Amino acid sequence: MRSAFANPLARWGFAIIVSILLLALLAPLIAPFDPDAIDVKSILLPPSPSHWMGTDSLGRDVFSRMLFGARISLLVGFVAVGIATAIGVVLGAISGFYRGWVDVFIMRLVDVMLSIPTFFLILAVIAFLTPSIWNIMIVIGLTSWMGVTRLVRAEFLSLREREFVLSAQTLGAKNSRLIFRHLLPNSLTPIIVSFVLGVASAVLVESGLSFLGLGVQPPQASWGNILTDGKEYIQFAWWLSLFPGLAILLTVLGYNLLGEGLRDALDPRTAKTKT
Amino acid sequence: MTRYLLKRLFWMMPLLVGISLVSFLIMHLAPGDITTTEAGFNPKASEESRQKLRKLYHLDEPVLAQYGYWLKRMATLDFGTSFATHQRPVFLEKKDDRGNISKGLIQEALPITLLINVLSLGLIVIAALPLGVISALYQNRPPDRAITVFVFVGFAVPGFWLALMLMYWLGVVNNWLPISGLHSLNYEKMGLFAQLIDSAKHLAIPVFISALGGLAGISLFVKNGMLDVLHQDYITTARAKGLPENIVVYRHALRNAMLPLITLLGLSIPGLIGGSVIAESLFAIPGMGKLFYDAVMMRDFPVIMGILTIGAALTLIGNLLADIAYAWADPRVRRGVM
Repeated sequence: MRSAFANPLARWGFAIIVSILLLALLAPLIAPFDPDAIDVKSILLPPSPSHWMGTDSLGRDVFSRMLFGARISLLVGFVAVGIATAIGVVLGAISGFYRGWVDVFIMRLVDVMLSIPTFFLILAVIAFLTPSIWNIMIVIGLTSWMGVTRLVRAEFLSLREREFVLSAQTLGAKNSRLIFRHLLPNSLTPIIVSFVLGVASAVLVESGLSFLGLGVQPPQASWGNILTDGKEYIQFAWWLSLFPGLAILLTVLGYNLLGEGLRDALDPRTAKTKT
Repeated sequence: MTRYLLKRLFWMMPLLVGISLVSFLIMHLAPGDITTTEAGFNPKASEESRQKLRKLYHLDEPVLAQYGYWLKRMATLDFGTSFATHQRPVFLEKKDDRGNISKGLIQEALPITLLINVLSLGLIVIAALPLGVISALYQNRPPDRAITVFVFVGFAVPGFWLALMLMYWLGVVNNWLPISGLHSLNYEKMGLFAQLIDSAKHLAIPVFISALGGLAGISLFVKNGMLDVLHQDYITTARAKGLPENIVVYRHALRNAMLPLITLLGLSIPGLIGGSVIAESLFAIPGMGKLFYDAVMMRDFPVIMGILTIGAALTLIGNLLADIAYAWADPRVRRGVM
């Protein structure tokens, strides 16, 4: 892990992520205004010393809403990817460890899920549920586990043939011990990398859904639904669209940089071609 | 080659069955059945029309039988009629009793989305190749660094936000490009050339947006492919026998580095189709994405199921085409060595 931070990409990504996380966690302390406080006297004010990012169509302070929106966007990202990773690790482990028809079945399931355009699938399911952040997390999680499954399966398939696993098996180790003590710990690196990269895409999906009005519902702030407002008032209030967009960009950039940096640093194959 | 193709086609069958199952299950996620108001069905609809729909979709029969009917309709490419838009057929055109032909919704929307995707795939390839090659040739030097920054920003930028910004800047502030629809109002009266220009102007931002995300990934991919190939022995041989560097890079290296790109382009199809939802709704382009979004908003089940199925089938066809192209381009696969 220490070598990961010698990697400049990972370092930048880490710095960006930590700052955004801090801003999100400390939102109640930093936010100059109540994010939901409507103020009819200050509607659509441009950025100024008192409202750093201006105000929206209901006179709410955009900077405060951005801070609280960060909490929602990051929470959705983490929980959704957590769900996807949990499903992916379980299915991938079963597939790679037991092989045979279970493996064939799970892999075909992955193929089916991958062939349906993900965003369509998410929209179709969301259509039947009342939009709430919990439903969004579950739906994003349930539609994005396929990559992790393939990854864990591939790791298990190759690790299972290694000498240390074979010798443990010969010594009479039970399947559960093989899986939890030998195979899973050795597959951790790619799982972590895919988790970090997954958060980036989940944040993008959530903001897209909220932008369409099918994600986080107002008055709860999310970067996506601030942008919806921005679209409405784009001719009069550029600040409503610019800041949430930049925030999403920066967050996704941070997770991608960290993910790719970790991959480079932890994967001996790409590390070798670099030098 | 024929055997390979047959095998490939055979493996598509279980996938198609799986896709039919997923799209069927989604329809049954709805609380109650689809004709109840809880499922968002028009509350003003008469009991009579509800009964008609229940009968049409065999909702009174056991779930397994319903699935059987759905499979049968899928096999004959009959996806029913839309609940909303004047009961138009979902997929292909149909003649009614009076002999009027009504066009299918997907039939009209699909070519538009395909056009945008083909254009953006073309743009991706045209731009990603030079970017990837330059990045590989100047590894860790300024051109590579600049391209890497571009790649990461391209990955991270939310497409719908950039679309919004470009719409504002190019369409509203400067009025250079139209921001809505596929054609101008007076499209019919233009000459052929003017029509082309008009379409190009309407499609410029949507195609650019749809290409940008893929471009970043694929140029990175070309770079890594080039780096791999450039370190192989046959490249050293080519250099050693005194071939000009240009020929070594473009004839010997790039050709092999491009091979996996074919598969990757095939795999990027579902993402491109799925990504069309936001861009098409934003620019009011009547393609698959907008059709799907409208259907979701109106709980128009036949259209939702139809698009999910057709979208997935397109992905399978895209992957199949990519595999065929790969086999055609790589003699090792063609002759069954690999």
